Amino acid sequence: MVLVLALGDMHIPHRAPDLPAKFKSMLVPGKIQHIICTGNLCIKEVHDYLKTLCPDLHISRGEYDEETRYPETKTLTIGQFKLGVCHGHQVIPWGDLDSLAMLQRQLDVDILVTGHTHQFTAYKHEGGVVINPGSATGAYSSITYDVNPSFVLMDIDGLRVVVYVYELIDGEVKVDKIDFKKTTTTTTH
Amino acid sequence: MSKKVPDWLNSSIWVSAPSQRDRISSLFPSSTPTTTSSDSRPPPLTEPPVPVPPPSVASREESPLSSPTGATPQINERKDRHGEGDQPADRTLSEEDVSRQSQLLAEVGLSVCNALSKQIVDMREVRRLTAQGVPDCAGIRSTVWKLLLGYLPPDRSLWSSELIKKRSQYNNFKKELLINPSEVVRRLDDSASPGSDHSHSESSGMLLRSDITCGEHPLSLGKSSIWNRFFQDTEVIEQIDRDVKRTHPDMHFFSGDTPEARSSQDALKTILILFAKLNPGIRYIQGMNEILAPLFYVFKNDPDAENVDFAEADAFFCFVEILSGFRDNFCQQLDNSVGGIRSTISKLSELLKEHDEELWRHLEITTKVNPQFYAFRWITLLLTQEFNFADSLQIWDFLLSDAEGPQETLLRVCCAMLILIRRRLLAGDFTSNLRLLQNYPSTSISHLLYVADKLRQKTSG
Repeated sequence: MVLVLALGDMHIPHRAPDLPAKFKSMLVPGKIQHIICTGNLCIKEVHDYLKTLCPDLHISRGEYDEETRYPETKTLTIGQFKLGVCHGHQVIPWGDLDSLAMLQRQLDVDILVTGHTHQFTAYKHEGGVVINPGSATGAYSSITYDVNPSFVLMDIDGLRVVVYVYELIDGEVKVDKIDFKKTTTTTTH
Repeated sequence: MSKKVPDWLNSSIWVSAPSQRDRISSLFPSSTPTTTSSDSRPPPLTEPPVPVPPPSVASREESPLSSPTGATPQINERKDRHGEGDQPADRTLSEEDVSRQSQLLAEVGLSVCNALSKQIVDMREVRRLTAQGVPDCAGIRSTVWKLLLGYLPPDRSLWSSELIKKRSQYNNFKKELLINPSEVVRRLDDSASPGSDHSHSESSGMLLRSDITCGEHPLSLGKSSIWNRFFQDTEVIEQIDRDVKRTHPDMHFFSGDTPEARSSQDALKTILILFAKLNPGIRYIQGMNEILAPLFYVFKNDPDAENVDFAEADAFFCFVEILSGFRDNFCQQLDNSVGGIRSTISKLSELLKEHDEELWRHLEITTKVNPQFYAFRWITLLLTQEFNFADSLQIWDFLLSDAEGPQETLLRVCCAMLILIRRRLLAGDFTSNLRLLQNYPSTSISHLLYVADKLRQKTSG
């Protein structure tokens, strides 16, 4: 039972001052084992804050990040799943599911976490699942101003993943979940 | 002007009671000369800190004259020896003593075995015999403790059914309480929608969002949320883990990298975690691991293989039983109440005053050694930390043998501990007394228990 937090596109301090208070009250240290961040934090203070939630932090570089040394893409294995992170501004057209599927095949991961569109999506195709946690602060994106703050918490338990989607709609936190199973086990090479 | 040796150095306090010395010197004329300097006493024989597990020798009963196993190498003085003086720290192992003692012990062992083999065990007889000390062989201690703690009924024919019942109950506890929230949520899901097919492995497309069951999500802060309670439990579990790793670091059974030590630690952890979950009132308090350790050790070293397999379950129930008498000591809110730890300590104080007013006055009034400083650990941990492991097993025999419960007997043993070192206490000031009491000097356990027993007779007289 591994809890993985996926979030990104905070754009602090340029487009938003901070995470919504309701999100911050829920995100307490000690519960989450890994954090995956799609990028565009943008400053070091946000990185430090995420580090306090969980020491195992994986970040990919967004185009506005002030830290230049984050990688463009990153892969990691958690339990039976291989996860990949990429900010998504590199994949053109932005948010196009087929192109993202191509990236996923390239990285050879079961779950690809990308951002940049600031809209939550969860899409499944033959190669795996693409999850976009949206923007954790609700910052405006290059495409639209109409953004709800959202993030994603994945509960990885064996071959099954339960994805909890946390969205702030009209000042209230709404939680939904998505369930999916992987059909084959990861072979370690 | 030449410095004279101060009078107090020459006083008789530094000499141990003549009666013991005479006896020993009569057997070994060359040993331990009586001198008046304070360092004259030879260092006490230290028992090996790792008690050797009793060999599974079923023939123990047939050879009553064989010497005791390494687990009881201490010198047990004869019961007829008096002396409320200083610690007989100058113990020498005389062969006569050993064989006499082993004979005594083996006789007790035989009688206990006889008592146990009856169809209906005579509990009074077993208690009486246990008070003298149970020999460390053929799993007698394990069975005796289970009987004394009420885990096994006196009627032998019911033993197997009781054991099966209790052991399966323990397994159920484990299954119900040790699952993680993901499992729970999954079960809730399955029961809510039994027909739904979760594997949409063929279809591509946007994944459907569905509602969460009962408002349960991992970051939930609700009091009744499974997840929240799970995370609160993890704090307790972490503390239990830390304490278990620190239990008896000198014993291979409990500590180290061997698979045996690891399995012991896992078992201890499971028992304590289950106890904490089943008792949300007291959860886990530091020190419970020390009370559990002797129980688990004794049950695990039972020569009967079936008992060894279920040692964890047996230890759990016996642990609960012991703790039920001492619960109030562990609950902080009850500290000042009638049954709480403060009142127990003041009872000890009263007992000491009754039996040895001079010592009481000296300790509490003259040197102001508040009994809380030393008795707290004695009482809450049932003396496991004051003596080495083998000795504490023997003390526990004595404590558990009391029909009215270990609380009263414990106080008497503590009182006896104080009385036995009265000379040193009377000569000392606050610092030295406190240091002495917090690192209680090793002593002959049977002598200690004998004195404790005499205290009972005095009060009832």
